[in-house]
Amino acid sequence: MLNNELSAQSQPLEKGTSLTQDAFARLRKNKMAMASLLVLLIIIVVSLLTPWIAPYSDEEQNLDLGASAPSAAHWLGTDVLGRDQLTRILYGSRISLMVGFIATGVALTIGVLWGSVAGFVGGRVDAIMMRIVDALYALPFTIFIILLSVIFGSSLLLLFLAIGAVEWLTMARIVRGQVLTIKRQEFVEAAISMGLSPWRIISRHLIPNVLGPVIVYTTLTIPSVILLESFLSFLGLGVQPPASSWGSLISGGVETMEEYPWLLIFPGLVLTITLFSLNFLGDGLRDALDPRASKD
Amino acid sequence: MVNEKLLAVENLRVLFNTRNGQTVAVENLSFSLTPGKVLGIVGESGSGKSVACYALMGLIPSPPGNVESGRALFYGNDLLQMSEVELRHVRGHKIAMIFQDPMTCLNPYMRIADQLIEALLQHKKISKKEAREKSIAALVEVGILDAAMRVDEYPHQFSGGMRQRVMIAMALLAEPEILIADEPTTALDVTVQAQILALIKGLQQSHKLAVIFITHDLGVAAQMADDILVMEKGKMVEQGTTEAIFKYPTQEYTKKLLSAVLTTAKPVASEAKANESPLLDVKNLQVGYASYTGSVFSRKKQFSRGVDDVSITIRRGEILGLVGESGSGKSTLGRSIVRLVDAQSGQILFNEKNLLDLSAANLNLMRRDIQMIFQDPYASLNPRMTVFDTLAEPLLVHGLADKSSVLDKVNELMDDVGLDRRFIRKYPHEFSGGQRQRVAIARAIALKPKLIVADEPVSALDVTIRAQILSLLLELTRKHNLTMLFISHDMSVVRYLCDRVVVMQHGKVVEEGETEQLFSSPQQEYTRQLLAAIPSL
Repeated sequence: MLNNELSAQSQPLEKGTSLTQDAFARLRKNKMAMASLLVLLIIIVVSLLTPWIAPYSDEEQNLDLGASAPSAAHWLGTDVLGRDQLTRILYGSRISLMVGFIATGVALTIGVLWGSVAGFVGGRVDAIMMRIVDALYALPFTIFIILLSVIFGSSLLLLFLAIGAVEWLTMARIVRGQVLTIKRQEFVEAAISMGLSPWRIISRHLIPNVLGPVIVYTTLTIPSVILLESFLSFLGLGVQPPASSWGSLISGGVETMEEYPWLLIFPGLVLTITLFSLNFLGDGLRDALDPRASKD
Repeated sequence: MVNEKLLAVENLRVLFNTRNGQTVAVENLSFSLTPGKVLGIVGESGSGKSVACYALMGLIPSPPGNVESGRALFYGNDLLQMSEVELRHVRGHKIAMIFQDPMTCLNPYMRIADQLIEALLQHKKISKKEAREKSIAALVEVGILDAAMRVDEYPHQFSGGMRQRVMIAMALLAEPEILIADEPTTALDVTVQAQILALIKGLQQSHKLAVIFITHDLGVAAQMADDILVMEKGKMVEQGTTEAIFKYPTQEYTKKLLSAVLTTAKPVASEAKANESPLLDVKNLQVGYASYTGSVFSRKKQFSRGVDDVSITIRRGEILGLVGESGSGKSTLGRSIVRLVDAQSGQILFNEKNLLDLSAANLNLMRRDIQMIFQDPYASLNPRMTVFDTLAEPLLVHGLADKSSVLDKVNELMDDVGLDRRFIRKYPHEFSGGQRQRVAIARAIALKPKLIVADEPVSALDVTIRAQILSLLLELTRKHNLTMLFISHDMSVVRYLCDRVVVMQHGKVVEEGETEQLFSSPQQEYTRQLLAAIPSL
């Protein structure tokens, strides 16, 4: 309705460019970041389409074949049980990416809320909230996960929760620091003196202004979460066979590295490409969002 | 007198390469400098006045900067063609420079003595002991008491004005022939500014220096310069002797600059407001900033006195000026009235209700009656919200408009502050400083408040814009029957706008009175000092 009224006006409205649009215009000029974005999109789309495009079913074994080198029938070779390596990597990417995105999403939500509330309210509330963060930081991560998996048994859900529960701590600290500096700015004081509710000030005035560093940190968190999952699967705490993830494939590949190197090389390569892309994208976003490089 | 040219700049052109193409910062600028004379370069921000002088010193970062063409002859040598090594010999030695911000120009980790001696040894082959003696002599010359003792102190132990004196001493140590002063008093309080200007003038005469004095303040330029060059948007507008420029300006822009200087009293005599009842009554207010001493377990709260036992009254429909220098507590007082800062004791009676006793919910209701306009229009608007969102938010939150009427209300506000309605979908960074301040004013009046606290609302703006914003404020207070507390360090602005004036110093009220009365017959010594420090044309 608002838009109808606007367009009914005689004078044409001049549309502004928001800082976000400005940043994306700058990102578009960064070839490395755009190429990375494209690679990531391809990886994501392919992993979503896996059940339809995978050459074999994920449970299909061919014990007669054993571990075979790459061939026309099996492009990336097969593992010791004769399972198609390409199929396993494709299915593995679904789990690895899901862990990466969901666990980061969990960390993002908790971290941004926790940090902005602590930073804005300040005083005793801030002190207590941040001491909780410090206490959780002090828990050794591996022992924490092992404890959880002993109690609840290892499952994917647990993996998300455990990784998310560790990664939000840094996010909360980053957001709190940003909020502390922005809180002193006059537009926040103006919002206070207009009588806006604290929640409205946090959601409308503070969080949109801390998103820059948060987005950048997020793109750097996703790879570290994927690596964490690989690490846990490597230890046998993560994904349970026959399901596969990039981490579990690599860990399997390491065991047979000398006889069947392709079992290590290909999953390693995919993981590396993904991590590189995320890092380049994060770097590109950081440059694009840097206010010092902005228009005026 | 021989009209020998010490420095001749011809057709200087400086470019900056930005993402959006080339920007011409200085275009076809020519001027010359005579020994022993002061050239004032006057212009608003972005006029290229500083860039031109930085180019002479080879201080333009390249890229993105590029001194494209032109010559700057200094003793027959072109400064613009010199190598970095040759330039280094000229910089500081033959041409010295002092900057706007004395806080950032001194190394905070080095003693004053070491910094002065280091500068001296760069250019002169003398012993350290001699250098130290010369340094102390220079500090004595710029009026630093106990120079022999203070020379071993660190920069933070000096006040702003004292630091600028140290900078001047450092600039003069190498006995330069040209001194470039880039807004050297802009960051200083008015009374200190008057002292520093007198010092520079005195030193210029005793050392027979040629000075390029860059300033945005015509009053300062009139006081300091023999010749004046007016710049706008990188180009020279007009050049001539100070007298000629001020008495017979030929260009429109110069006339506009001159008319923007507020020498007059309030344009329309205000009706007597003496009989009106007070809207705001501040009684014995104490505001301080807390600091903690002692260990974690036995913390003691201490309050520094920001505002010390202050009582002021603002009558309905009145504009009350609150003047004082930095640290006088005037901003703290304003912010405690808006309840951005907590007061320790006293009363703030607004419509006979004490703001300090209100519950949080009642306070939030009361807030719409008292709005604030901030100093920095770059920081006071949320960069992620369009003008429409910024102005609609208070209206919607306080139920003064619903979704269907909010657009009309916002458009009315835009009309009120003289902004084009077409701009409502734009973001703050797409506006100029003056336009942003208009948006901030629109936000403040959106809630139809009874009282507006304006904290230095024009100090960050250029002179021509300043005049526009002040007349807008005056017009709006009449139209909406507003009462205003106008906080400023600038006496001429206060004289232009306010009905009554309160003078503060060190957190206390020194004097108060009707504006004209206070300006014509100030009772207190401090008020007299403040008034004497206004640079006049």
